[in-house]
Amino acid sequence: MSLTIALAGNPNCGKTTLFNALTGSNQFVGNWPGVTVEKKEGRLKGHKDIIITDLPGIYSLSPYTLEEVVARNYLLNANPDAILNIVDGTNLERNLYLSTQLMELGIPVVMAVNMMDIVEKKGDQVHIQELEKNLGCPVLEISALKGTNVMKAAEKAIQVAHAKRSVPIHKFDAEVEETLEQIEEQLTGVAKEQRRFFAIKLFERDDKIGEQLSFSVDVENLITKLEDKMDDDSESIITNERYTYISSIIEKCCTRNSKGKLTVSDKIDQIVTNRFLALPIFAVIMGFVYYISISTVGTMATDWTNDVLFGEIVPNAVDNFLNAINCADWLASLIQDGIIAGVGAVLGFVPQMLVLFFFLAILESCGYMARIAFIMDRIFRKFGLSGKSFIPMLIGTGCGVPGVMASRTIENDRDRKMTIMTTTFIPCSAKLPIIALIAGALFQGAWWVAPSAYFVGVAAIIISGIILKKTQMFSGDPAPFVMELPAYHMPTVSNVLRSMWERGWSFIKKAGTIILLSSILVWFTSNVGIVDGHIGMVSDLSDGFLAKIGSGIAWIFAPLGWGDWKAAVAALTGLVAKENVVQTFGVLFGFLEVAEDGQDYWGTLASSYTPLAAYSFLVFNLLCAPCFAAIGAIRREMNNGKWTWFAIGYQCVFAYAVSLCIYQIGTLMTGGGFGVFTAVAFAVLAFIIYMLVRPYKQAHTLRVNIKSVKS
Amino acid sequence: MPLTMATLGEVSTIKRIGGKEETRRFLETLGFVVGAEVILIAKNNGNVIVNIKDSRVAISQEMATKIMI
Repeated sequence: MSLTIALAGNPNCGKTTLFNALTGSNQFVGNWPGVTVEKKEGRLKGHKDIIITDLPGIYSLSPYTLEEVVARNYLLNANPDAILNIVDGTNLERNLYLSTQLMELGIPVVMAVNMMDIVEKKGDQVHIQELEKNLGCPVLEISALKGTNVMKAAEKAIQVAHAKRSVPIHKFDAEVEETLEQIEEQLTGVAKEQRRFFAIKLFERDDKIGEQLSFSVDVENLITKLEDKMDDDSESIITNERYTYISSIIEKCCTRNSKGKLTVSDKIDQIVTNRFLALPIFAVIMGFVYYISISTVGTMATDWTNDVLFGEIVPNAVDNFLNAINCADWLASLIQDGIIAGVGAVLGFVPQMLVLFFFLAILESCGYMARIAFIMDRIFRKFGLSGKSFIPMLIGTGCGVPGVMASRTIENDRDRKMTIMTTTFIPCSAKLPIIALIAGALFQGAWWVAPSAYFVGVAAIIISGIILKKTQMFSGDPAPFVMELPAYHMPTVSNVLRSMWERGWSFIKKAGTIILLSSILVWFTSNVGIVDGHIGMVSDLSDGFLAKIGSGIAWIFAPLGWGDWKAAVAALTGLVAKENVVQTFGVLFGFLEVAEDGQDYWGTLASSYTPLAAYSFLVFNLLCAPCFAAIGAIRREMNNGKWTWFAIGYQCVFAYAVSLCIYQIGTLMTGGGFGVFTAVAFAVLAFIIYMLVRPYKQAHTLRVNIKSVKS
Repeated sequence: MPLTMATLGEVSTIKRIGGKEETRRFLETLGFVVGAEVILIAKNNGNVIVNIKDSRVAISQEMATKIMI
């Protein structure tokens, strides 16, 4: 018989570490709340028939965040055979709050107290037997990180799942119990062991619980009666009862010697979130990360792969091989100019990516990421976003897909939608090659190009934040920022390397699949065209099919300064994957032919565009619709076709407007003439400024409302 | 007085929590109930970090001013 065991617990208590230890899988473990946003399944090592489900971390079974809804619906509807409740031993009291709720579900629970090594280091003690006695479920001490006792915990869970015994539950105050019993009596249609849970949720007036019930119950009278009696609202009554119960047992279950003392994490926080030092420290850390990964180590490695590995070694080897086997000319051209030029152009950036991913993984797993959200909150609030929006953006520097997914930790629907729309403005790792290409080929590797790309991304977010906040759709104050900050800890080498490798590998995989295919496609469509009335190989790329398609759409981009077919095609292929922009240039400008005589295709590229046009091209590609994968993520997170199209449309229009302003106004300032589009650019600029500074009417009425409610 | 005015490092007891219901509920699940002890760890332009029930929680100014100690 197959069994399902669900891992449930507070955010950041080690569920994913335990999941990895139990299933032998390699999920990334981060040190900030909300790493796991979707449930994950795996099979228990050595037991093929046992399925382990890793649920997102939750503080309670009330549906406050999306993650709580995911976890709760799973526990109620999928009905796992047992729950393995992971509890952070350093923070027992708060963790038990969720445990009391889990035990009401009527599913057998095993409690695993994690982080015991830290508890012992602090000189505290957790009394396992007392916990077992008071909670009525088996309790084990484990260390998920070291793997101590983890299998034992799983076996215990299997044991209780088979035994199917009902869990004896804690009792609340007599008066509350009486009312709950009366509600339970009406729930005859609910399985016996789930009745208490439903009774409590109905008592709390949980609006989402009604959807789970097939019949309607009216218990409003009972609730108001008790509320009047206890002079509190029903939800607070239950919360207080839970904490009263926990306080009554916590003294017996745990001896604390460190009470009241500041921990090391507290002391670090006093410095890094200090009101004077917080921003400088943040700037130094991020500057260091990007300096190392983009300017120094990363560039050295990338230059080597681009110039030596894909510039000489691979092409020469392939050339010799192709000559040796007497390969047909067109096939040799496909392999050399199509595949190696295209894929090589992208693979060259792998070292740079790996260095960046390495640092991001360290930031994520040491615990600093959550502090960044806190530090940025005050600033982000000024333009209508919450500090929590910063985490998706930071993750987005690696890849937009997890970035968009990370927006799930934002509770407020408006804030979340706005974050989803703006997250992909931040240059993701796939856009780095575009930045590097433009910087290298047209600006002779000027130091300011890469930072300016990030600056453009951040500015786009700020401007969009202010503009969108003033529209009807997004008006209203952002939700207050409340976030648990995890304890700092040293990142483990294996975890950091795993994360780096995972992200790097998906980049390489993309190069081997999507980009390989589109390289071939770009090569074919550009080299094949109508020659003398029938389809055949063209000698000049500008006669090929791709050139014809490109020319068809190029006029759209002419006002932006890059209205030739090659750039238009590159921007278009960028929709498949942003690396494709570089790949397309690689194929169209011939990576190899020029590389052989000692130069690379950068020279050809430089002679084709002015720096201003290239910068406008860069900005357009940074800000316009992201790749299909990210659009898919936006679709999933928005969960609404209309919103998805609005997001994509907004991004494209915004990108076009900004690029237009940059190119037209830039041309005018560098001595170019004043044309129709210059006037259009000024009009667009004026419109953006108007949208930025127009009065925020909604806020005014809202403030009045609050006041009137208060008085 | 509101939590934002507490002294750094000092233990205080929560007397009342106001603010929007949704956020109050979330704070409750994090351990912010009447009678709970909090220690102010850091202040940053009105945003605060407090230690409650052995965990650290960051709260923005808007909410912190509504927690009375």
